[in-house]
Amino acid sequence: MSLSEAALQALHMLLEGDPSLWGIIYVSLRVCFFAMLLAAPPAIMLAFLLANFSFPGRRILVVLIQTLQALPTVVIGLILYFLLTRNGPLGAYGLLFTQGGMILGEAVLAFPILAAMTLSALQSADPRVTETARTLGAGSIRAAWTLMMEVRFAIMAAIVTGFARVISEVGCAMMIGGNIAGVTRNITTAIALETSKGEFAQGIALGIVLVAVALVTNAGMALLQGKGGLK
Amino acid sequence: MSLLEIRGLRKVYGQRLLFEIPGLTLERGQSTLLVGTNGAGKTTLLRILAGLEPAEIAEYVFDGRKIAVREISRLAPTVVYVHQHAYLFHSSVAANIAYGLQGRGLSRAEINACVDAEIEWAGLREVAQVPTQRLSGGEKQRVALARARVLKPKLLLLDEPTANLDVDARRQVGDLIAHMGRGDDCVLVATHDPELIARSWSARYVLENCALADLQM
Repeated sequence: MSLSEAALQALHMLLEGDPSLWGIIYVSLRVCFFAMLLAAPPAIMLAFLLANFSFPGRRILVVLIQTLQALPTVVIGLILYFLLTRNGPLGAYGLLFTQGGMILGEAVLAFPILAAMTLSALQSADPRVTETARTLGAGSIRAAWTLMMEVRFAIMAAIVTGFARVISEVGCAMMIGGNIAGVTRNITTAIALETSKGEFAQGIALGIVLVAVALVTNAGMALLQGKGGLK
Repeated sequence: MSLLEIRGLRKVYGQRLLFEIPGLTLERGQSTLLVGTNGAGKTTLLRILAGLEPAEIAEYVFDGRKIAVREISRLAPTVVYVHQHAYLFHSSVAANIAYGLQGRGLSRAEINACVDAEIEWAGLREVAQVPTQRLSGGEKQRVALARARVLKPKLLLLDEPTANLDVDARRQVGDLIAHMGRGDDCVLVATHDPELIARSWSARYVLENCALADLQM
């Protein structure tokens, strides 16, 4: 089958609402959504603590977070596999080869990106933001919230980048999820499998969806920013 | 009783003495002018008075109450400091003016009424709902003044409020400042704008050679 034939067949599958195809897309979106929901609050909180407070080990923590961003997904998959496997320390929870396990794995992947990018946004924020908030009578919690609001576009960018990382990665999803059809098979693991079987149409269809998801999230971000990002 | 009495104020950066002020008193209802060359420490002095910058202070008595140095910043918004280039939050003009009123137990209607009055005072009616990034320098400064004034601070500290403004904007801001102190409230303005200096002031000081002195006109 030529590439153009495969692409046409891919479009047919998408438009006809092929249930197995859309099931795979649903798994990807669901896992990524909950992974972001799990990772974002503690990552943003940690970034806030690192940006505002000095404590022993702070610098080590910052370097560690920055290093973790570059960690290959398969290495995180490997570590989590050992933790989640039946005989591992977290084996009792039965998370290996489940969507819950995948959510955990993707959250671990997203966490350093979210924390590092939020930290960078907070550190580069105008120091007058907090001073202005405080001199107008805001307490430390409200001043912190105001600062978050002032750098909200950068935090949104961190969330979109984190989402892009987890929806496009294959290593951790394959090792923790196991690519079980209808359960843990997501877009990337399905593309890898279909391609290895020579079934290019489904691979291309899923590839189109992946690009479309990236486009929609980034367009949504641009829309939310409005002209706020404009200097 | 004076509004603010400070004794033994000293600010050093490393080994360098920026200024040493044995005593400074701001009387109620007073409008005070502070001049000095660039780098003399006018901004630093204002920031110290607002508790935004640490310094050695033997005694800081505000409104008859002795305040510990690290507690000075808690006087906000009774003491409000306005930056030379005021920072406006990324929201509308009205939301900026309302910022300090929120969380004080006021109803939405009360807040709106106060904000509305300030918008009128500062001549910002036409830009009330405009995002602050789109305002001119003069409009931004007027928003900052209205945002501070709406809180009815007892001591208002204005740092170079007319810097980098064109002639018309300088005049508008100058006119607003002339009406800022109300009743017993106090305004302290640091500037080297000749137009502003020439206006009427209850007290004039100059910060030079590491000391604060009366300004001879």
